[in-house]
Amino acid sequence: MLPNRSRLSVLVFLLPPLLLYGAAVLFPILQSLFLSFFSWNGISDMEFVGLANYVRMFTADDVFWRSFFNALGYLAICLVLQLGGALLVASLLTSLRRGRELIKTLYLLPAVISTVAIAFLFVRIYSIDPVGLLNQLLDWMGLGSLERAWLSDVNTVLAAVSAPEGWRFTGLYMLIIYAALISVPKELEEAAVLDGASRWTLFTKIRFPHIRPVWITTTIMATTYGLRGFDIPYLMTNGGPGQSSELLTTYMYKTAFTSTDFGYASTISVFIVIECLVAVGLILFMLKRKAES
Amino acid sequence: MITQTAPATPAAPPSPAPPAARRRRRPSAFRTLSRVLIALIVIVQVYPLAWLFLTSLRSEHDFATGDPFGLPKALTLENYARAFETGDLGKNILNSFIVTMGANILIVLLGMMAAYAIQVLGFRLSRLVRGLFLIGIIVPVQIALVPLFIDYSTVNLLDTYQSMIIPLAGFSLPMSVYLFSSFFEYIPRETYEAASLDGAGPYRIFGLITLPLSLNTVVTVVLVNSIFIWNDFIFANTFVLSEDLKTIPLGMQNYIGAMGKVDWTATFAAVCVTITPLLLVFLVLNKAMIQGLESGATKG
Repeated sequence: MLPNRSRLSVLVFLLPPLLLYGAAVLFPILQSLFLSFFSWNGISDMEFVGLANYVRMFTADDVFWRSFFNALGYLAICLVLQLGGALLVASLLTSLRRGRELIKTLYLLPAVISTVAIAFLFVRIYSIDPVGLLNQLLDWMGLGSLERAWLSDVNTVLAAVSAPEGWRFTGLYMLIIYAALISVPKELEEAAVLDGASRWTLFTKIRFPHIRPVWITTTIMATTYGLRGFDIPYLMTNGGPGQSSELLTTYMYKTAFTSTDFGYASTISVFIVIECLVAVGLILFMLKRKAES
Repeated sequence: MITQTAPATPAAPPSPAPPAARRRRRPSAFRTLSRVLIALIVIVQVYPLAWLFLTSLRSEHDFATGDPFGLPKALTLENYARAFETGDLGKNILNSFIVTMGANILIVLLGMMAAYAIQVLGFRLSRLVRGLFLIGIIVPVQIALVPLFIDYSTVNLLDTYQSMIIPLAGFSLPMSVYLFSSFFEYIPRETYEAASLDGAGPYRIFGLITLPLSLNTVVTVVLVNSIFIWNDFIFANTFVLSEDLKTIPLGMQNYIGAMGKVDWTATFAAVCVTITPLLLVFLVLNKAMIQGLESGATKG
């Protein structure tokens, strides 16, 4: 603490940021909570409906549940691609002697590109007529029977809209994990190798425990980003065909701005906030407990 | 996976070991394998972008009929001409630039101020304020859309630059606060105490010591946030209607014509034009950006 500070000076520095943050983030959360108890289309008078929106969401809305499970699937695919891919590439990268910087840059490249551009790009990659990259590749590998219009097939569309999101940010997580991996003390690794440890034991017994704090951070980052996924499904399929690629976020958006049902949309928003807090809590709980055992 | 299988196959024919390889054979087989794997993954990562660029140089006919992996039969720039005719790319880029600058100024200045109050000045409820900022990192941005839409329409902010800048800055503020406070921890207490003894108050210390020392962190914060702000789609899509204010992501959608028909080669040309500014910054400053992204997560 600075000796010559006054109460006033703390306020001078703290109030402007809190005002912006309050107006843009905190107040809207409370407003959503408030609106979730009303029925309102933005024009007529607001009508207090108590818990009716919540009852409707949990018991009478199939689309909500469909979107919820889709969002979990989307999250799972993103996590596997991002964290799995990141850990694999970061580990491989530490065994390289040259070209690490180049690979880091190339691998991060997709993260700089806007979701709109990515959506356009992947629409072409998945396309069947004219034949897109993916179908052409399958054809060459003799897997022509798998060729399909990936975005109009209800069985593949969810995976098809999740993959670009995973692809886009895996470089970001790779950087973070790589930075943690190269900070593992060399003496520890060398000692283990002298004792005859295999690469796998080296990884599970020395490297991974060392990077666990960073792993927790990246898991939380990837999870919260996965749960806020919106742009790519919205732009590529708008949730379709049917509701096969509808996520909670896109469903909330449509409820608000297509059906102008602001009350019910806010109810879904509140659910999304709670879902995120629960997810982060669960990750901390599970990964911390594992560390202690 | 690879780490498991590599030691299990010591009988593999000794690969022609490069002269630089060490004495033992196993690591070099492992190394070859990991090189091949890395090369494959990097190709998957980068090829779509290279393909996008090549397509923007192809003629429409070639694109519609040719082999998607094939090289263009002839290079043409007419897609770029059409891209500039269809959309107002210049204006889109300018708008993105204004929004990115506006948001970044707020994020840097306010982030630094909050971190200064929390980390340097210190006050009783500082833990609570830190906790409040954590919420902004966890919750998805979409929850602010409906409330902000309603608030903006009551105060007439819909369809303005501010309508995009406020939430973009607000949701990026927490990360900025964390980056600045973790940097401020490294400024030795003695520096402040000496300045205090010389009679400098909190404002002078902020302006003369903290601000000039944090320039590196400013670069980091700006670079990391610019990626997200430059490419923002959701706030712009929700709050902006007029053609004059459209940022790049919204402008891109103009290339979808009637009946959802897309002029693909022109679209890809437009994509190439609009990703260039950020790509250049990224390639020139990628060391700083990579360091920023790394430290953002490991410290935050």
